[in-house]
Amino acid sequence: MALFSAFQTTFLLALLSLKTYQSEVLSEPLSLAPESLEVSIDSARQCLHLQWSVHNLAYHQELKMVFQIEISRIKTSNVIWVENYSTTVKRNQVLRWSWESKLPLECAKHSVRMRGAVDDAQVPELRFWSNWTSWEEVDVQSSLGHDPLFVFPKDKLVEEGSNVTICYVSRSHQNNISCYLEGVRMHGEQLDPNVCVFHLKNVPFIRETGTNIYCKADRGDVIKGIVLFVSKVFEETKDFSCETRDLKTLNCTWAPGSDAGLLTQLSQSYTLFESFSGKKTLCKHKSWCNWQVPPDSQEMYNFTLTAENYLRKRSVHLLFNLTHRVHPMAPFNVFVKNVSATNATMTWKVHSVGNYSTLLCQIELYGEGKVIQKQNVSVKVNGKHLMKKLEPSTEYAAQVRCANANHFWKWSEWTRRNFTTAEAAPSEAPDVWRNVKSVQGHCVVTLFWKPLSKLQANGKILFYNVVLENLDRPSTLKLLSIPAPANGTELTLDQCSYQIRVTANNSVGTSPASVIAVSGDPGNKEVEEERVRGTEDGFCLSWKPQPGDVTGYVVEWCERPGDPLCDLQWKNLGPDTTSTVVSSDAFRPGVRYNFRIYGISTERIPYLLEKKTGYSQELVPSDNPQVLMSNLTSYSFTLSWKDYAAESQPGFVRGYSLYLKSKAARCLPGSEKAVLSDDSICCKYKIDNPKQKTFVVENLQPASFYEFFLTPYTSVGEGPQGAFTKVTTPDEYSHILIRVILPMIFSILLIMILCYLKSQWMKEKCYPDIPDPYKSSVLSLIKSKENPRLTIMNVKDCIPDAIEVINKQEGTRKSLTETEPTKPTYLYLLPTEKSHSGPGPCICFENFTYNQAASDSASCGHVPVTPKAQPQLGLLTSSENGPKALGKNYVNSLGEIPAGETNLNYVSQLASPMCGDKSSLPTNPPEPALCSEYKTQMAIPMGLASPPSITLLDEGEHDH
Amino acid sequence: MRAQLMRRTLLSLVLGLLFLSTPAMGSCLDNYQELLGQLQKQADFMQHTSMLLDHYISIQGLDKDGLKEHCQERPGVFPSKDALQRLSRQEFLQILNNTLGHVLHRLRTLQKDIPKAQDLEKLNIAKLNIRGFKNNIHCMAQLLPGSLEKTEPTPTGPGASPSPTPISDAFQRRLEGCRFLHGYHRFMHSVGQVFREWGQSPSRSRRHSPRRGLRKGTHRTHLSSRNKRLMPRGWLPR
Repeated sequence: MALFSAFQTTFLLALLSLKTYQSEVLSEPLSLAPESLEVSIDSARQCLHLQWSVHNLAYHQELKMVFQIEISRIKTSNVIWVENYSTTVKRNQVLRWSWESKLPLECAKHSVRMRGAVDDAQVPELRFWSNWTSWEEVDVQSSLGHDPLFVFPKDKLVEEGSNVTICYVSRSHQNNISCYLEGVRMHGEQLDPNVCVFHLKNVPFIRETGTNIYCKADRGDVIKGIVLFVSKVFEETKDFSCETRDLKTLNCTWAPGSDAGLLTQLSQSYTLFESFSGKKTLCKHKSWCNWQVPPDSQEMYNFTLTAENYLRKRSVHLLFNLTHRVHPMAPFNVFVKNVSATNATMTWKVHSVGNYSTLLCQIELYGEGKVIQKQNVSVKVNGKHLMKKLEPSTEYAAQVRCANANHFWKWSEWTRRNFTTAEAAPSEAPDVWRNVKSVQGHCVVTLFWKPLSKLQANGKILFYNVVLENLDRPSTLKLLSIPAPANGTELTLDQCSYQIRVTANNSVGTSPASVIAVSGDPGNKEVEEERVRGTEDGFCLSWKPQPGDVTGYVVEWCERPGDPLCDLQWKNLGPDTTSTVVSSDAFRPGVRYNFRIYGISTERIPYLLEKKTGYSQELVPSDNPQVLMSNLTSYSFTLSWKDYAAESQPGFVRGYSLYLKSKAARCLPGSEKAVLSDDSICCKYKIDNPKQKTFVVENLQPASFYEFFLTPYTSVGEGPQGAFTKVTTPDEYSHILIRVILPMIFSILLIMILCYLKSQWMKEKCYPDIPDPYKSSVLSLIKSKENPRLTIMNVKDCIPDAIEVINKQEGTRKSLTETEPTKPTYLYLLPTEKSHSGPGPCICFENFTYNQAASDSASCGHVPVTPKAQPQLGLLTSSENGPKALGKNYVNSLGEIPAGETNLNYVSQLASPMCGDKSSLPTNPPEPALCSEYKTQMAIPMGLASPPSITLLDEGEHDH
Repeated sequence: MRAQLMRRTLLSLVLGLLFLSTPAMGSCLDNYQELLGQLQKQADFMQHTSMLLDHYISIQGLDKDGLKEHCQERPGVFPSKDALQRLSRQEFLQILNNTLGHVLHRLRTLQKDIPKAQDLEKLNIAKLNIRGFKNNIHCMAQLLPGSLEKTEPTPTGPGASPSPTPISDAFQRRLEGCRFLHGYHRFMHSVGQVFREWGQSPSRSRRHSPRRGLRKGTHRTHLSSRNKRLMPRGWLPR
């Protein structure tokens, strides 16, 4: 049993072996396997190029085959690409197939193998795969060299937005490699220990010179990099069009689109292909190409324009009939002939376009930059056109262009000619106006006329003729010729009764005459001036229609009213017109314009009808009046501003505003509260009458402070805010006092004068002279009785025992001492027993005007007084000595001072005998000032000063 | 900044035209000091990196951290200042002339990597300046005894300007260009200093004194052995 089992197994194995051998032997002659497989690389394009052949085909046999290709990376088991490539195969034919790798081929080892199968319906029995070829290895890394670092792919060119894979290959395991894209670190994927891959997605365009990508080792100075040339997307060609100008050459044009980049690799090429003729041409220019039209009159053309660069190819198509794309040449031999004042003829020629050339030509006539005539004309070869209704002496431009009349495609370019029509006589009379003045019995007429418009002048005006006709003596004519470009003249006439005709003349003829008359009667009766309101459009003036025959009206005004030249303007209006709008660019806001409206009689004599005045735009007053105040009382004052020129303001003065500030909370009657621009509140009087130039502010409070400010106002507003004038009303009773006191003073004065004049009489009446006892008749009686005991007592015989000095202020007299505080006056009265032999009385007076002390304590010593001074004391009541003493420069002795005035003596600061200076004491000092003493104003130490004193010394004390 | 750039551009253009005008009119300045002053000023002007390098860095996108540090002069490309100072005046002018010839050649190469016409303007002005400077060198050489023919405006031959190894890699090319321009500006700075030394010590022992108005030199001064040692392959080491 075991033997049987072993035999059976051996038999089956042998049978299997035989089966296998049979199948191999039978299939081998029928296998069409790829052979001689070769793999090459294109590093720049990252392509693997495969080529192989199939040897087992019969001679002349062609079979459809399919080849399965496998590509692996790094190791053969890592198949990254499988593709079936179908093609027709001949015996020993070299077959080629390419594969583009996303990864640079230098980054990894690649291997390729393939197998084939017949894919032909003729031999369905052969539809099975052949054996795989052996793996063909592609290892670029091994041929890189010995550099420590490589970065791939080198100088790759991609379009903006593409995805790119980059790698570095390092020869050293120790180095850490870091890679950067334009300075920004990239993070990649380690393919093997030496290779790292970076996947860049959607790469941007950075600059024309490419994007820098570089890797550096952390040790050493190794840097390697690549430039990734990123181009902009190659745009599609636009506006592809072809046309012919002569049916011999086609000119095709297109817009190439923006430059994809400025790299030389990316320069575009343009190819033109015509499908009907099968011809092709490489265009030399970026935006146009010429195509020669063959003489066999090919009508239809189908063009394909192909634009391509390294990365992309784009095509556009165009199908057209040649005769529909005729763009004629510009007309030539263009002339303008037979130019008169109103007509001209234009002639031209056109280039013939084949046999069917009927062209449509367009003529345009330009005058002053605008098209004034447009005409279309059909032309074979020669064209002609008459231009009518032209203006004389006018510059024109005529131009002509043509297009295919049968199939319009494009107009030719214009051909242009300029010409000027001939002159004609002026068609209109000049617009004339006048100004009449009477100077020293003569009539001075200034004529103005407006230059004729170009349309009216019909040429260059050479001169103006002015014909004067004396209306009193119609036969007397006077002609003046005034050369252009004068626009007026001044005529001095012996009287003002003339008719004046003005004509304008050019080289061809004379214009119709403009007639105006001046009359001896100025007719300028006083016309009331009316105000008009100007608007943005001007002044709207209207006037009453005149009952008599009026041939028209003239409105006259000055555009520069302040200017002596005035720039007189006028406007002629028809007889039926009673209103007009006067507008001018010269009108300025704030300027008053005066208008005069004249009627023109049938004799052409103007006579004044109305006067108008107004502002195109009123402004606020430019200045405020100078206000004078008068009649100030406790309750009112009057303001006046009569010098204010309201007419010179930039608007009609409608009135005045008076602002009054006071401490009173309420405004006075007639005024209302107003807030000024500085937010202060005051009372405002409104004076509505612009002619009123005075105003009385009433109901004021006496002895009150007020401020006022006056400003005019127009319809726009008030004048500028100025300074307020201050005023204080006087006290209520002061005027009464003045009324009482003044007459009183006057009366007193009158009485005093009367008293003075009648003083002798008054003296006699009121205080007659005291009779002298020595002269008394009583003495004679005594003497006669010889009574010796009876004598009259002499004052000298009296020995005074005391003197009372009364210190009294006198209010009306002013002196230096008066200003000082009252100081005690010291008076020493010596003993009566010594007084007869001692020094006389002495007053020591200290001037307190100055604060410095006296120079010496003894300076206020006693000044000797002569005995003669003493008796004068007895004359204190003598009024005769007073005036004498006042006339001296030193202090009067007490005896000379009237009682009660001792403190009123002023000490002169001039040199005088010094108190205390004994050496300089006068032996015989002047009598009235024997004991005067004063101190100099020198600066003296305080300690040396002595109190002021008035001392009466006897003679003995003075001598030692 | 832009106005300053414009002013410099204009000034540069004027200077370039000025220096170009000298040989074009077929006459050199007779005045040694004046010519030396011109050479000094122009060297000072051309040493500014704003004249060329800054613009190049900007348009090539090399103004990034981590990248601009690698834009440093490669040793041996341009003669060092010390090497220049050791040269006699005739030798110095010769080396200077040759070096600038090489710079012109290199600028033409760099020009290919600048696609935009307005970016090329700076480069063209720099070329004008160099040509003008070379002509002034020629004039100066005529004022020095015995070195007339050597500094004739010469086309840059291979001896004077060895072609650098062609670099197909655009990144390396622009980095090398940057390094080259860096070296050029440094070189012009050194040249300016050497000319300044000429002005300060016109009669140093080893240097030839100028011969005013002497135009026709009769003998050639060959490069000394020191000079040859200094200039392997036509270039001086630093």
